Amino acid sequence: MSRILTVAESEFLTLIRSKAFIIGIFMMPALMFVFFMFMEYAQRHADREDRRFVVIDGTGVLYDVLAREAEAFNREAGDGDARTGPHFLPSRHDLNGESPDDVKVGLSNRMRQKELFAVVEIPAGILEPSGAATIKYFTQNTNYDRLPDWIGATLNEEITKRRFASAGIDQAVVSTLTRPAEIETFGLVERTAAGDVVAAAESDDLKRFGVPVFLLTLMFLAVMTSAQHLLNAIIEEKMSKINEVLLGSLTPFQLLMGKLLGVGAVALVLAFIYFVGGIYLALQYGRGDLINLPLLAWFVLFLICAALTYGAMFLALGSACSDLRDAQSLLQPAMILVVLAYIGSFVVMRAPDSTLALVMSFIPTMTPFTMMLRMSLTPAPPVWQLLLAIGLMLATTVAVVWAGARIFRIGILMQGKAPNLPELLRWIRA
Amino acid sequence: MNAIEIRHVTKQFGAVVAVNDLTLEVPEGSIYGFIGPNGSGKTTTIRMIMNIILPDAGEIAVLGRPNAALARDEIGYLPEERGLYKKMPVRRLLRYYGRLKGRSLAQVDPVVTRWLERLQLADWADKRIDQLSKGMAQKVQFIGAIVSEPRLLILDEPFTGLDPVNVRALRDAVLELRRQGTTIVFSTHDMPTAERLCDRIFMIFKGHKVLDGTLDDIQARYGHDTIRLRLGSNTSALAGLPEIESVDDHGNYQDVRVSGDPQVFLRKLVQRTEVHHFEIAKPSLHDIFVRITTTA
Repeated sequence: MSRILTVAESEFLTLIRSKAFIIGIFMMPALMFVFFMFMEYAQRHADREDRRFVVIDGTGVLYDVLAREAEAFNREAGDGDARTGPHFLPSRHDLNGESPDDVKVGLSNRMRQKELFAVVEIPAGILEPSGAATIKYFTQNTNYDRLPDWIGATLNEEITKRRFASAGIDQAVVSTLTRPAEIETFGLVERTAAGDVVAAAESDDLKRFGVPVFLLTLMFLAVMTSAQHLLNAIIEEKMSKINEVLLGSLTPFQLLMGKLLGVGAVALVLAFIYFVGGIYLALQYGRGDLINLPLLAWFVLFLICAALTYGAMFLALGSACSDLRDAQSLLQPAMILVVLAYIGSFVVMRAPDSTLALVMSFIPTMTPFTMMLRMSLTPAPPVWQLLLAIGLMLATTVAVVWAGARIFRIGILMQGKAPNLPELLRWIRA
Repeated sequence: MNAIEIRHVTKQFGAVVAVNDLTLEVPEGSIYGFIGPNGSGKTTTIRMIMNIILPDAGEIAVLGRPNAALARDEIGYLPEERGLYKKMPVRRLLRYYGRLKGRSLAQVDPVVTRWLERLQLADWADKRIDQLSKGMAQKVQFIGAIVSEPRLLILDEPFTGLDPVNVRALRDAVLELRRQGTTIVFSTHDMPTAERLCDRIFMIFKGHKVLDGTLDDIQARYGHDTIRLRLGSNTSALAGLPEIESVDDHGNYQDVRVSGDPQVFLRKLVQRTEVHHFEIAKPSLHDIFVRITTTA
């Protein structure tokens, strides 16, 4: 055992001190920060053009509404440097006996010359209650949907209002009567020791989805970082021929187990750092209620299990490869397994008490993600399921490390092509 | 007592028999040289002794235990393929290797300091391995093998790639360890080194043991048929002499193997050319090596 810990300690210290780890810690939050800042910036700055468009208004009344609403829209978008969006600049075109087709051809030419952005043709019959006619929108930029969306919304509001009025119905009454009845979701009601019935807490979307998704993503990142490191480390050792020296001092099982524990500890540190960051943010934004300590404790336990189970798999893979190129071919299926477990677990959100959720909870590669989600949803899984799942994961880890050690002993002396599956199985049985 | 006892060990890789029914005893406290051409089975034998690969048949006892795994902490090992963590500082690496052998830092630290000084690496103790020259790295690896002060030290090609100064430094270190009672097994291609250092020599060729014994025993077995010559003319004077079985031309001198009476050969030679040097010599290990590998 002491050898395993010696290897674990060395692996842990080497990793923690490595530039890759330090950069990795800050990289993820930094990337997310940059991403959000960019999105924010893009939203404010990407679309600040003047969008000139011509309205051929067959109704004779809708253009004025558009012009009025456009002014309001432009005011809200602001002016000069403070401007946060486009300005919509409509102008009216009366046919005055011209052929509509000639007009549209002429306006299309102006659009080609970039004088105009779009042309809107409102048919005269649009205000009829039957409403069969459609509004036509012509533009070169068919992908730009902000203007047609705005025109559609603005015109529809006015058209509906006018249709109701012409049918003699008060629209305000209709709105009131068709308002949907909302459903508020609550947890269970409890009776306290004093005999009072405690009002169940209202279910909160952030608590229900935000926290589990945050934890799951954290676990996914920790697993991806640590497992991939293990694969690289074992192959690097193999390529730099350190293995034979190490095997003079300890068994392959001790070596692999030590590495696994070291990297598991690193995953823990990584998660802890993000954890503290998450708690700090929750407190900063006055959402201390999101912090659920028992859940976090289980999370730590499952995170360790996830790092160990996946780490063991990647170690076994690394043992079979003689260089990084070999590893790439085996890496993909393993990565898919992790991604599948991560994404697949979201199925559980819909029905945490389903048989599918139960089965997924006991498939060791899916356990950590599925269980974490189930833990943060209601009804939570019973404790025996949690303990059984953890037991299964640890047993799988030991079994995979054992098999990995067998592969390692033979693989260490093998150079050249990566072994195929039947060969690997033969090595394990050897 | 024997440090290593190999009994009827065979190891096969596919159709190739790497080691064939090998029996060998390495007495404690000796320096035992393993020689043989590339691919003859030296490294396979060493890896089996180290329990890194397992024999298909036979038994290997090490330091009185049925296999090396049970005596691992008492064995130092320098494999043929050198491997060090490139990013790790020298001292930390050596401490790590020592701790992997179950030694405490209190035990390891003085040994590391002493050997770093002894091999002139003290100034490099805090430098990373990738900042060292190849020779320095090799010395670090050597210290890594002895940092646990093992009873048995196995060195696979320890001197390959070293300059003469470093070869000498390591050779002296090996001799010092022997004086302290360490049993040393080393494999080498360098016959003069094996001759100078080893108490006993074992040669494996195509998986078979072809030599095993002290240098004197081996040389006696191969007779006194080698004559070292330095002639006044070039080697053409040797042409056509029926006694000559082979000539190994070293440039300034020649080692000649003759059959029959050397004195008769000398008389014939004197009639043909000036003879500056004529010495009836024991065959060198190199000669014996070449003789075995070329006649087999």
